[in-house]
Amino acid sequence: MNAPDPVSHSAAVVERHDPALWREGLRTGVPSLFGIGAWGLVVGIAMVKTGLTALQATGMTLLVFAGSAQLASLPLILAHAPIWVIFATALVVNLRFVIFSALLAPHFTHLPWRQRLLYGYIAGDLTVAMFLQRFPTAAPVPGKLSYLKGLVFPNWAAWQIGSLTGIFLGSAIPTEWGLGFAGTLAILCITVPLVVNRPALCGVLVAGPVAVLANGFPYKLGLLAAVFAGMLAAMTAESILEKRKARHG
Amino acid sequence: MAEWEIWAVIVVLALSTAITRSGFWLIGHRVTLPPRVQDMLRYAPACALAAIIAPDLVLGSGGQVHLGLSNPKLLAGIAALGFYVWRKNMLQTIVFGMLVFTLLRILHVFGASA
Repeated sequence: MNAPDPVSHSAAVVERHDPALWREGLRTGVPSLFGIGAWGLVVGIAMVKTGLTALQATGMTLLVFAGSAQLASLPLILAHAPIWVIFATALVVNLRFVIFSALLAPHFTHLPWRQRLLYGYIAGDLTVAMFLQRFPTAAPVPGKLSYLKGLVFPNWAAWQIGSLTGIFLGSAIPTEWGLGFAGTLAILCITVPLVVNRPALCGVLVAGPVAVLANGFPYKLGLLAAVFAGMLAAMTAESILEKRKARHG
Repeated sequence: MAEWEIWAVIVVLALSTAITRSGFWLIGHRVTLPPRVQDMLRYAPACALAAIIAPDLVLGSGGQVHLGLSNPKLLAGIAALGFYVWRKNMLQTIVFGMLVFTLLRILHVFGASA
C-alpha cells in the first residue's frame, strides 16, 4: 500500500521550497510592483466609470486578472455587443499570452495539472519576461518554482490591491475628469512594445483607421474586422520585405 | 446590459485568460504551432489594441469622426504616445497624458465660455 509514486517524488525534490530563490524572485519583481498597482488602479476606475457595480468590478478583477482584456471589454459592454464578440475580442487581445506561456510552460511540465493551471493563470507578461531572464532554458533546476512564486504572487497582490482601490475610489471621482481615458493611455503603453518591426507597424496603422471606419458595424464586428485587416496588412508587409531582402541580399 | 449578462461577460473573460495563459501549460507539450500561425499570432494583439485605442481617440459621443485641434483626447493621445516612446514608462505616461487631456479640456471650457 501507498508505494511512493516515483514521478511525483522526484518532482517534489526538484520543487522543494527554496527560500533564497523565493527572496531573489521577490527582489527582482519589487521595482515593477508600483507600476502594476497603478495600472490596476486605472483599470479599477475604468470599470466603475463604465457603470459596473462595485461587486461586478470586484468579480471581474478577481476572476479575469487580465487588464488589457478587461479594458477592451468595457466599451463593448457599453455598446451591448454580443457576448461571443466580447469573448473573441478578449481572446485576440490575450493572444500575446499564448506566446509567453509557450515559452514558460516547458519549465514546469512535471507539476500536477492544477498547479500548471494556477501558475499559467497568474503569470502575466512582466513576470514571464523576468523569469526567462533568470532561467533561459527549460532544464530542471531546483528552486525554479520558488523563484516563480516570488515573482507572481506579489505581482498578483499588487494588481488586486491597485484594482480594488480604483474600484472603491473611482466612484468618488467626478465623471467629467474623464479618468476612463487613463485606461486608453494604458493600452497605448502596452501596444508600443508590441510594435516590434515594420510589418507590425503596418498592421497597427491599418487596424486603427479600419476600426474607426468600421465603428458602425453591427454587433461591434468592426473591431474584429480591424484586427483581420491589420494582420493581413502585417503579413503582406512581411512577405514584401522578405522578397525585397532576398533580391538585394 | 442586464445583470446576468455582465456576469456572463466576466465568466467568458476569465475563460479567455485561462485558455490563452494556461492552455500551453496544460497541453503545450503535445502541440506545436505551425510557423505561419505563430506569425499571425505575433501581430494580432498589437492590431487588436490599436483597434481599441483609435475609436476612443477619434470618435465623438455620437460616433462622428473628430480629427483636429479641438479634440482633446486625440491631442493628449498623440502627446502620450510621444512621451512613452521617449521615456518607456507606463505610469509617467498615464500621468502626463491625463495632465495634457485635463489641461486641454479646461482650456476648451474657457474657450467656449469666452
